[in-house]
Amino acid sequence: MENQWNRKFDAVVLGAGNGGMSGATQLALSGKNVLMLEQHNILGGFSTSFVRGRFEFEASLHEICDYGTKDDPGSVGVLFRNLGVELEWASVPEAYRLIVPEKNIDVVMPFGKREYIDALENYVPGSRPSVTKFLVIAEEISEALAYIAASKGNPDKKVLLKKYPNFMKTASYSVDEVCRALKMPEDVKNILYAYWCYVGIPMNRQNFTLFAVMLYKYLIRGAAVPRYRSTAMAESFEQRFRALGGTLELNTRVDRILVENGGVIGVETASGERIGTRHVLCCASPPRVFSEMVHPKYEVPPRALKSVNARSIGVSGFVVWLGLDASPEELGISDYSYFIYKDTDTERLYKDFSSLGRPSVQATVCLNKAIPDCSPAGTTILSMTILYKAEAWKNIEPADYFRKKNEIAGYLIEDFEKATGCNIRDHIEEIDISAPPTYARYTGAYQGVIYGYEVDSWDSFLPRLMAMKDEVYIRGLRFSSGWGIRTIGYSSALQCGQTEAMLTMLDMNNGGVPV
Amino acid sequence: MNDKPMKFNVKWSICDLLAFKNLVKKRAKIIDAAPAAPLEAPFINMLAARLHPESQHLIIKEIIDETKTTKTFRFVADGKVTRELAYFQAGQYLSLKVNVDGYEITRPYSIASSPADSLKGFYDLSIKKMESGFLTGFIWKNWKAGDAVITSAPMGQMYHSPLRDTKSIVAIAGGSGITPFRSMAREICHGRLDATLKLIYGCADDGEIMFHHEFLELAKKYPEKFSFVMVMSCEKTALDGCEKGFITKSVIEKYSNPAADSYFLCGPDVMYDFVGMELTALGVPPRRIRREAYGEIKKPERFPSYPRVASGKTFSITVRLKEGSVVIPASAGESVLIALERAKLAPPSACRSGECQFCRTLLLQGEVWVSPESDARREADKQTGYFHPCASFPVSDLEIVLPGNGR
Repeated sequence: MENQWNRKFDAVVLGAGNGGMSGATQLALSGKNVLMLEQHNILGGFSTSFVRGRFEFEASLHEICDYGTKDDPGSVGVLFRNLGVELEWASVPEAYRLIVPEKNIDVVMPFGKREYIDALENYVPGSRPSVTKFLVIAEEISEALAYIAASKGNPDKKVLLKKYPNFMKTASYSVDEVCRALKMPEDVKNILYAYWCYVGIPMNRQNFTLFAVMLYKYLIRGAAVPRYRSTAMAESFEQRFRALGGTLELNTRVDRILVENGGVIGVETASGERIGTRHVLCCASPPRVFSEMVHPKYEVPPRALKSVNARSIGVSGFVVWLGLDASPEELGISDYSYFIYKDTDTERLYKDFSSLGRPSVQATVCLNKAIPDCSPAGTTILSMTILYKAEAWKNIEPADYFRKKNEIAGYLIEDFEKATGCNIRDHIEEIDISAPPTYARYTGAYQGVIYGYEVDSWDSFLPRLMAMKDEVYIRGLRFSSGWGIRTIGYSSALQCGQTEAMLTMLDMNNGGVPV
Repeated sequence: MNDKPMKFNVKWSICDLLAFKNLVKKRAKIIDAAPAAPLEAPFINMLAARLHPESQHLIIKEIIDETKTTKTFRFVADGKVTRELAYFQAGQYLSLKVNVDGYEITRPYSIASSPADSLKGFYDLSIKKMESGFLTGFIWKNWKAGDAVITSAPMGQMYHSPLRDTKSIVAIAGGSGITPFRSMAREICHGRLDATLKLIYGCADDGEIMFHHEFLELAKKYPEKFSFVMVMSCEKTALDGCEKGFITKSVIEKYSNPAADSYFLCGPDVMYDFVGMELTALGVPPRRIRREAYGEIKKPERFPSYPRVASGKTFSITVRLKEGSVVIPASAGESVLIALERAKLAPPSACRSGECQFCRTLLLQGEVWVSPESDARREADKQTGYFHPCASFPVSDLEIVLPGNGR
């Protein structure tokens, strides 16, 4: 039996996405013999970049939440420090510019709690009380989560109840439900909700805890991006991981997770190599793992399939990258992050993610506003993002695909020009466009999904965390990505990887039984 | 944080707390109530695989003699591994993956047939026999109808973007660089690409003009969409109405509008250098110039930035493998990729122009020279030491980490 393996490792990290990189580094830091396998020729997953002509585009990152600064790090900054991963960062100048032409909204919102409240009061007089309350609750939640983390997941319920009652009371509600209780006026919500698309589900379903913490962290910590694109972040992980003795193999796809008697015994690569391990930290999504990768199939417990079927599969992305032959000043681009919405009704906007008409949402970033020399002098990098549910692309045939991408990209550019008054069309030197199949192609993501499961209140990170023990379906197999316990986003995936790596070590000490 | 939390209820206090307490129970209930049915087939991944298959297994259906030195190979799907040809955009290429006498090598060739043709089930690749060409010599000797050939999916960036490019395309082709424009010409004339094409085709020999008959026909049938002029660089030509010499500023100005047209270039490196300068002198901004990948660099010494001291030398490359390492020789005048191919250690590759990133490899020690024309490394890659062997030449002994090869 022992001879069936070409090689053996304490743990195999399947996929070098955000959660894979942080998890692998954590395991290597703890002295484990770790193999990280990545099917692509570069590690990073969505944390990557690509070159077109004289431009290097950030592939998917808009901004990282809760990095903080080197001297005053937020939780993500602490993660990098603790893992010993170092790289140069740049700060995002403002929170966001929100433009909703049909509602005559065009606001620039700053970072900083007080600055944000003041700016909102300035745009919508009378907004101060409800927004202040919102942020007081958000702060309480943020501190409650820090307390839970410090208690290693075993908080004293009495302390929670006494010090963080609003954290508990709001945990099971959507943003809409809480804001209604706060009697927040519509005009205020319209502006405060702008980040909703970073979570990708409408506010009548989006869990309050998650949204509140995200907004709060952005306001107190600002946002950061790697100075030399996400590739620099990925390669900093790579260098640290290799220095710690970890083994990284690129161009190596894992086809099977080998399971026996309910526990992981190894993995098999596409070229047929069988690698023995009791522990797999997995960036591949649960839908793919449980439908295609676990071998033999009868080792997939019915509840694992139920768990996948019960949950809503999140959105995929569509991005237009533009290398423009004029500077942001010449073009009139004044801000880093633009949210341009057709409407303020997030349910209606979300519904449009399921069709291929004119997009009603765009989140557009001008990278030069955080990194002025990210492109040659006199040029600009602009990237426009819209979200899609897989079904929107269901009936697209290859022969329609490129035309459709150009059509949607054209709408996005036109809408940006209309909303901002900037001329983009006459300055395009480089353009590339991704659609859901692009994400499926480069990362193997199930349905090209970039956000994992949707975060309804029952499936937000608190219930995922609290039900964690009951949801390890195969011994030794832990999910370390946006599909995991921390939910969507760069920060969450990075933290998820680290947490799952620590749990894996506990599993190891526990004789392989999940803790 | 103040010690006393703010008083706040969403519904009412007990109800809110109970909802919190029940989060896990509610979650378990929802999961237990769901079916344990297999999941929906991921149609997005299936579409991705149709658009970008890892490789295409093709059969040579027909071989057509195009000119004295050029043959057109018509490929169809083998019907087993590859059931349908991947669709593409006119101007893109396929990279052949051929085993030549035990050596695995790759070569990119623009697709000479149209995207519409691929829907009908075939690709044409028109290949010119190179003097002392390692691959083309092998092809001329061995390939016959019915043979199996493996290629990449369609790749490359030289296609018309309706958002970037003007509707008036000027194609400047040199020699066998004509092939992608035959694809575009067909696509435009058949109304599948909303643009016009003015073709300026440079050739060195009357007998080497490719697709001449087809271009004449198209120009006659679709004069509002397609026109072309031959620019013959040979001393003598029997061709009527052609320009003589090279594709100079005056030729470009005569047959196009530098103030408005989009220029697409495909040909040998010397043509890129020359026509690129002419276009810049005419004031055409970079956004209206598209150039096909530079191609494999044959003589690095001709670039001013090449370190002359390395010229003519042979270096050694220590190649770290999964287990252990091997040392191989590498001559200064050949790319690191060729050295790896000679040693039967080649990583995946496709474009051989530094563009597609397939061969991305980690350099641990030593120095390589990268052609500025083919340097598409990411900034972080430059800092970490990742490079593209296909567009890099050794200028010292090297130590590299070979990326995984088989998936």
